[in-house]
Amino acid sequence: MAWCVTSKRGLAVAPILLIGMFMAIGLFPVTTAQSLPPVAEAGPDQTVCLGDFITLNGTASTDDVAIVNYTWTFSYGGLNRTLTGPVNSTFKSSLLGAFVITLNVTDDEGNYDTDTVTITILERPTNILKEYWWGFVIIGVLASLIAFVYLLINGYITFVSEVTREKSRLLVKRSIGLTRELMKNKMGAAGIIILVFFGLLAILGPTLAPYKIDATQEGPFAMLQKPSSDHWMGTSSTGFDIFSELLYGARISIIVGVFSAIIASILGAVIGLYSGFVGGWKDEVIMRINDVILSIPWLVLMILVAAMLGEITLSAIILIIGLTGWSGTARLVRAQVMSLRERQYIERARAIGSGDWHIISKHILPNSFPLVFANTILTVAVSILAEATLSFLKMRPMGTVTWGTMLSYASEASAFHVGLHWWIVAPGLCIVSLVLGFTLLGHALDEITNPRLRRR
Amino acid sequence: MPGHSLRRVLLKRSINVCITIFGIITINFLLIHAMPGDPILNMVPRDPKLDPAVKQDLIDKFDLNASLPERYVAYLYNTFTGNWGTSYMQSHRQVIDIISEDLRWTLLLVGTSTVFTLLLGMAVGAYGAYRRGGAFDMSSTAISLFFYGMPIFWFAILLQMLFNSYPLGMDWWPQLPTGSYFDTKTYGTEFRWEWDIVVSVLQHLILPAATLSIGSLAGVSLVMRSSLLDVMTEDYIMTARAKGLTDLQVLRWHALPNGMTPMIALIALSIAFVISGAYQVEYIFNYPGIGYTTLNAIWDLDFPILQFVVIVGGVAVVIANFVADLLLIYIDPRIKIA
Repeated sequence: MAWCVTSKRGLAVAPILLIGMFMAIGLFPVTTAQSLPPVAEAGPDQTVCLGDFITLNGTASTDDVAIVNYTWTFSYGGLNRTLTGPVNSTFKSSLLGAFVITLNVTDDEGNYDTDTVTITILERPTNILKEYWWGFVIIGVLASLIAFVYLLINGYITFVSEVTREKSRLLVKRSIGLTRELMKNKMGAAGIIILVFFGLLAILGPTLAPYKIDATQEGPFAMLQKPSSDHWMGTSSTGFDIFSELLYGARISIIVGVFSAIIASILGAVIGLYSGFVGGWKDEVIMRINDVILSIPWLVLMILVAAMLGEITLSAIILIIGLTGWSGTARLVRAQVMSLRERQYIERARAIGSGDWHIISKHILPNSFPLVFANTILTVAVSILAEATLSFLKMRPMGTVTWGTMLSYASEASAFHVGLHWWIVAPGLCIVSLVLGFTLLGHALDEITNPRLRRR
Repeated sequence: MPGHSLRRVLLKRSINVCITIFGIITINFLLIHAMPGDPILNMVPRDPKLDPAVKQDLIDKFDLNASLPERYVAYLYNTFTGNWGTSYMQSHRQVIDIISEDLRWTLLLVGTSTVFTLLLGMAVGAYGAYRRGGAFDMSSTAISLFFYGMPIFWFAILLQMLFNSYPLGMDWWPQLPTGSYFDTKTYGTEFRWEWDIVVSVLQHLILPAATLSIGSLAGVSLVMRSSLLDVMTEDYIMTARAKGLTDLQVLRWHALPNGMTPMIALIALSIAFVISGAYQVEYIFNYPGIGYTTLNAIWDLDFPILQFVVIVGGVAVVIANFVADLLLIYIDPRIKIA
């Protein structure tokens, strides 16, 4: 303020000017390097379940300057990962534990502010009702059945006649007797023990497995790892844990075996029953078709049908095995029906005026049922083998893990050469034991229900 | 009139055989022509610049534009005249040549293993039934049941690995050839009747034949055992014992001849089973037989080969069953005409 000093009059003006300057500074904001820092707000702490989406809903308030970037820094178990992006981001939680996430907001003058949010990811509580609803349905049906039978036997239900009650009491007595006899039979007992083991494995396998498997996607692990404490049997060429695959495979293998055997048996029983009962030219035609199907080796027939279908799903495999596997049962049932048809009691039934339907349902069906039942159990064994063989010959059901597909991939990756012996040995042993269980049970049932075999 | 009825039975069976063979041919045609996929795409490279004339040439050559009934008639005619056409993939080769060459190797494999299976299986089953409930019976039944439920391809892989390495570092462990039909690197691909080549063929046969034999052994021994046990409870066995025959004499002269009837039926039935097994074994050991060719034909959509390969297999089964039926009628006069 040199001019103040030079002008005496100016001395009086100087304070006013100074006051004015201060006032001006105070009244009018002046942009300087020292503008206010932004305020980051990372949002509240959250606790979510594995697999849920996490929304990071950060906000940033600031004065007039623009915000240059938002940075989210994730720290998790000593690791830091930085993500630059929008202030609101959504993530899928895929790891368990606590994440400390820091939001860093920077404005274009280099001022920044940070705020921290903690997100805890917990194991999703298994919704038993949702995952095992079928188990509850089965238990419910069984419980109501048992309750019904109990009420029936003890006469609490009045609408059934004395005869029905007596009959059902006999049925229960007989099935208990059959079970007792099965357990006395060495083969039957061994079969039941094996099947109970695999049945439990089929129900609990996916829960017991150390890793989850979704065969419709790529596996999460490095391929073809040697066995280690993390992966007891190593990892497969598709990046899955082989031990987990083995546990998962039980369910599908049993489902395929049981359902295709049921289809084959029902088809075979109906066709054999019809053919044997009506006889004549209809029987001839059916038997010639049956001959053709029996003559083409089963494996070849299945491969041709599978090749015809093109893309193979699990239900396609079940249908292929079921629809090509009925001819043996049909022939067996036909022979049985033909021999039953000539029995005297059938003749008597006819003489007192019973119709065809009555004879079939009251005399022929009950007498051929044990045979069909034992045969169905044996067909389950054969169907499990058929599925394994088909899968091995590149007719694999899509998006599922069975022991057959495991063997197929193992052989394609030459598992022995890369040191993954379990990959071939374990699924094979599982198939053998499961088939053995069904075979033992089937033979034991045959022995018990077939009085001619019982004698020896 | 026994002679008259026998002639009628034979006539009826022969007609049935013809109908069955005709049925196999028809079903086979239907199945193969219902398959998806265009064989032309497998034959020529997927090149848009490809001369359409070449494609048209192929279509004309294999008659791919004809309607289904037309193709069926042509197919029936060709089947019976032996004019089986040329393969789509190996275009210079006649299907009938390919199949007859494959058939040699398959017959060698199936024949060897069937002989071993029958001899061994019947011996094991008969001895088990003879000493019923003994240590041998129990262990052989358990082992048979184990092998009965075993996928043949799995057993093939295990054997292949076992004889292609030195397990537990045992350097005296024998090494066996695990692929192909003979040492084609040394002797060329053409088979000749030379000592070295025959030895090589036999060496290459060991593992596939062993797999197939052991895989189907269980069925034979189990049926043999149960059919003998069945026979042993008959009254005439008791009569034979009462006459003072020893156990072995009873087995040899009374039980075995009567226990053989189910075995003959089983042998015919097991032909189909052995063919299925041969498919898997040939695939794993790269043994160039019918099964190997069929699987490759399916993956390549090589219809001409596929058609006739299935027919040959089916007809073999039908004829085996027919022969078994005749044998049964001849052996067992009690058999009624179904």
